[in-house]
Amino acid sequence: MSDQLAARIKEIIVETLALEDVDPTTIDTDAPLFGEGLGLDSIDALELALAFHKEFGVRTQENDENNREYYQSVASLVKFITKKQAEAAASESQ
Amino acid sequence: MVIEVTWANMCLPATNANGRENAFQASVIDTLKHWIRRMNVAITVGAYSVVAPVGYAILATLCFCWRKDPIRRARRLQSFTARAYRFMHRWLGWTRITVFDHRRALPNLPDEPFVVIANHPTLMDVTAVTAVIGGACSIVKPTLFQRAMIKPLMVGLGNVEGPGPDLIRIGRVVDDCVERLRWGLPVVIFPEGTRSPRGGLGRFGRAAFEIACRAKVPLVSLTITCEPMYLSKQVTLFRPPHPTPHMEIGVLAVDQPDSLGSDSRALRKTVEQRYHAWLRKVAGEAPPSYDPAPKETECQTS
Repeated sequence: MSDQLAARIKEIIVETLALEDVDPTTIDTDAPLFGEGLGLDSIDALELALAFHKEFGVRTQENDENNREYYQSVASLVKFITKKQAEAAASESQ
Repeated sequence: MVIEVTWANMCLPATNANGRENAFQASVIDTLKHWIRRMNVAITVGAYSVVAPVGYAILATLCFCWRKDPIRRARRLQSFTARAYRFMHRWLGWTRITVFDHRRALPNLPDEPFVVIANHPTLMDVTAVTAVIGGACSIVKPTLFQRAMIKPLMVGLGNVEGPGPDLIRIGRVVDDCVERLRWGLPVVIFPEGTRSPRGGLGRFGRAAFEIACRAKVPLVSLTITCEPMYLSKQVTLFRPPHPTPHMEIGVLAVDQPDSLGSDSRALRKTVEQRYHAWLRKVAGEAPPSYDPAPKETECQTS
């Protein structure tokens, strides 16, 4: 499941940010997305946040101290999205 | 032949002695100038600590006077700070700490509001750019913006609080900057986010380009040079270099975002490449040939 989610996140990154020269399968799951690695910036993070909201229904809150941690790598994004979806499912079942 | 050899043998040590004497004089003059400049920096910092509270009081009063009209307030306060920065640069020129001609008008500046970007070699860039373009909004670090005594002035000047460590807050920063441009005020951004490495350029962020694209305003690329380097990360305030640093600001280009389909990525790439080409050109050129203190040097060495 998490491998599928990681693969989908990589596809979304490439599609949303129009990274023409990047093959989604070549993105290292644990590599940093910002600064080093793919070299994304904060505007890219904002576009990704909107894309994840659209795709997974997960909202990234502004002023959340952990945002940088959530968006650090594909692996951290998998954890973030899984956690948020579990929280949403739990609140719906109540 | 014998006479010639004897003459040469007699003259050569004398020439060397003169050369040594001149070199010694020059080094003494250099050392003196260096210490005079350091003293001038100390006097300037002392004067600033006296004048700054007065300036703060004036700005705070003006903020209060025009509190009902934020656009007018921002315009007036920016005009006031631009004048203060012009005086500051004139003072720095008088004291031979740095030389910067803020009166030289920049060509091709648009009449409408615009986004200004520039490389960031020294800490004086912000004041120099503001002095030249006559006031602008800038993005300020949240740690500075949120200080109780500073915040009313920052808000009054129309400055925008930076995103800080939260990546997602950049959306609000972009919206705020677009709003300032709609007020008719230019916005200054250093796209590297920090001071440039010596003789180089850091990676450009996309915020400035995104703001220009969203607000549909021209993007003005300025080039800033300071030779020798002063107030960079390596050269601190109390270590002024010798000879006197000369600052220059030029217009590299004015881009209309529409020309690249309002695509901030393409705009960033084009502008970043242009800056790298400019840096290569500057590095290839000979160092600027100026005399930091022509009359003084001439008098003392003659």
